[in-house]
Formats: sequence, C-alpha cells, structure tokens
Amino acid sequence: MFGLGGGILIIPFLTLVEGVPVPLAVGASIVSVVATSSSSAATYVRDRLTNIRLGMFLEIGAVAGAITGAFVSVFLPAAALFILFGMLLLYATTVMIRSRRLDFPSKVLPDRTATLLGLSGQYEEHTKNTVVKYEVTRTPVTLFVAYFAGIVSGLLGVGGGIIYVPTMNLVSKIPVKVASATSNFMIGVTAAASASVYLFRGDVDPILTAPLIIGVAGGAILGTRILKLTPPTRVKIAFGLLLATISILMILKGFNIPVVL
Amino acid sequence: MLDLNRLISYSLRIGVLTSALLSLVGLTAWAATGYANLSRASGSGVSGTIASAASGNPAGLIYLAVAVLVATPVFRVALSTFYFARDGDKRYVLITVAVLSMLIFALVSGVSG
Repeated sequence: MFGLGGGILIIPFLTLVEGVPVPLAVGASIVSVVATSSSSAATYVRDRLTNIRLGMFLEIGAVAGAITGAFVSVFLPAAALFILFGMLLLYATTVMIRSRRLDFPSKVLPDRTATLLGLSGQYEEHTKNTVVKYEVTRTPVTLFVAYFAGIVSGLLGVGGGIIYVPTMNLVSKIPVKVASATSNFMIGVTAAASASVYLFRGDVDPILTAPLIIGVAGGAILGTRILKLTPPTRVKIAFGLLLATISILMILKGFNIPVVL
Repeated sequence: MLDLNRLISYSLRIGVLTSALLSLVGLTAWAATGYANLSRASGSGVSGTIASAASGNPAGLIYLAVAVLVATPVFRVALSTFYFARDGDKRYVLITVAVLSMLIFALVSGVSG
C-alpha cells in the first residue's frame, strides 16, 4: 500500500515476536518481499499508476547497490547500519510530513535526463476524478540515491521502498501515488537479487517462508485496493507515522536496547 | 499484441500465483509427512530442486516455489527488453539489458559464493 515490500514489518515480527534467529528472519523476509512487490506491482502496472520507464532506469542504480550491499555486508558492523538507517528514516519522516501539501507539484521543469528518456507521465487520480500529468526532475540525484537504497536493501534484507518513495516524491517531484507504485515495481528486482544470495547461502527456511508467500499473495491484493481510493495527503501522513515508529525501533536496536512489541 | 503494462501485469501475477500454489502444495505435503524436520538445503542446484519437487518432497516443492518467485521479476525485465527491442527503443533496450546482466551476475555469483 505504501510502496514498501513489507520487509520492514516482517523482520521485527519474526525476530521480536516469534523469536526466529535473525539470518533466517531476513532470508524469509526478502523472499516474501519479492512476493509482495510482484503481486501489488501487477495491479499498479495494469492501472497505469507505475512509471515503468522511470522504474527501469532507477533499477540500474538500485540493483548495482543491492549487489554492492551483499558484498560489503561481510565487513560492516550491523549495529552501525541500524543506527544510520534509523536516522535516515527519521529525516525522511519529518520532510514527508512537513511537505504534505506538495501532492500535485506544479511548474516542474524536467531535467535533461528525464527529457532524453521520456520520463514524464500521467495517471488517473480516482479520489478527484481527474487525470494528473507530471514531469520528472533531478533524475541523476534520484538515481544516485537509488544506488544507496540498493545497498541498504542488500545489507538488511528489505526492499528499499522506504527510501525510494520519499526520494522520488521530494527530489524528483513525482506524485506520491506514482512514487509508491514505481517503488513497488523496482523492489521486486532488488529483492530478487538479494534473495538469490540468501537462498544459496541456505538462509531460506522452507516452513517459515511458505506461509509468508501464501499470506502475502493475499494481503497485497487488499492493500492495492485501499491506495487507489485514499486521498494522497492521507497516504503521506500514514506513511510518515509508519516511518517514525520504525526509525525509533531501529535506533534502539542499534544501541542494543531490547525492543518488545 | 498486448501492450507493455498488460504483459508485465500478467507475467507478475502468474509468477506469484504459481509460487503461492507450489508453497501450498509443499506445506500440505509437509503436513502429510507428520511435520517432519526439513533440512535447509543450500545450493542443491536447479535440476536437483526440480527433481526433488517432482518426487513430492515438501522442501523441494517449497524451494521450487521460492525459485519461481525470485525468477518472476527477472523474467519481467527480460520481457521488457524484448518489448523495447520490438519497438526499436534503443535507449531502453540498453537500460533493461544493463539491469538484466547485473541480475544474472547476482544469480551466478550467488551460486558460486
């Protein structure tokens, strides 16, 4: 619903509530992220909410990042990552909530990359019964951020949507619904890259993973219906609240403070 | 010929549903064995996985489900490459080929690592 793969919810649930060891939780999570992303992307793509061209272009950065992340994951202490990631999320939260009036950015001038690649688009805003046209700007910056989001994805076993959505919206001025849908579309590819690594490492437990795949296939169908019918401002506030909660949890975890849900 | 949106939408849906179905069959098979302990196979290879899934091995079935799922987005990228090539859209052929080759690199390095 928010353009997230759900990894950020599944990992805390499995580790904190079910007491599953972290590598297995991450392995199961990344596989279910592929499922969430693919099933909801199927709906968004059909409804033409996804900017396929933009997604394909940003995937270059995101997949390169995911591979980098998988390789450097051996060297970096996890605690430092959790804290950094949490702080990044907190920043994204404040910006997202403060800028909630920016739903339909106007007078956006496309940059050279966006013009060259034909990235501008339009979508149908069901809550207002209008077709919204939009331009894409500062594309190189967003590509650069996508690379870093990919690294985080490879390291932590999440899809990276929590970074893609605010960046596309705030930096490239893409309407939040299109940003969510496009993020969802990209996550499948990044998560597939990371998932294959976990799979071959033997960190995918069949009994843990199978119910997640089945559940996610059903749950994502419900979320896509909700996004279509929710006003963009509410999407932003809900997304902001979710970000704030998770970032605090992650920082606490980084400082080794036990979190009980 | 279907347009790109429908093509991608269908292929993603079919991939996820196939995977969910295989998972369900795998879990049912596991229940039928009386919830036996399953080994966490690593790198048993594609042919090995298919063979064990075909023989009704619960873990084999679920690993096949996971493999189908992981292949779904990769297939989607490959599909787009063909679509853009047919349209003569060279820039996007280049972009999708770049993404595809990185994905294949990840799969191959995953196998050897």
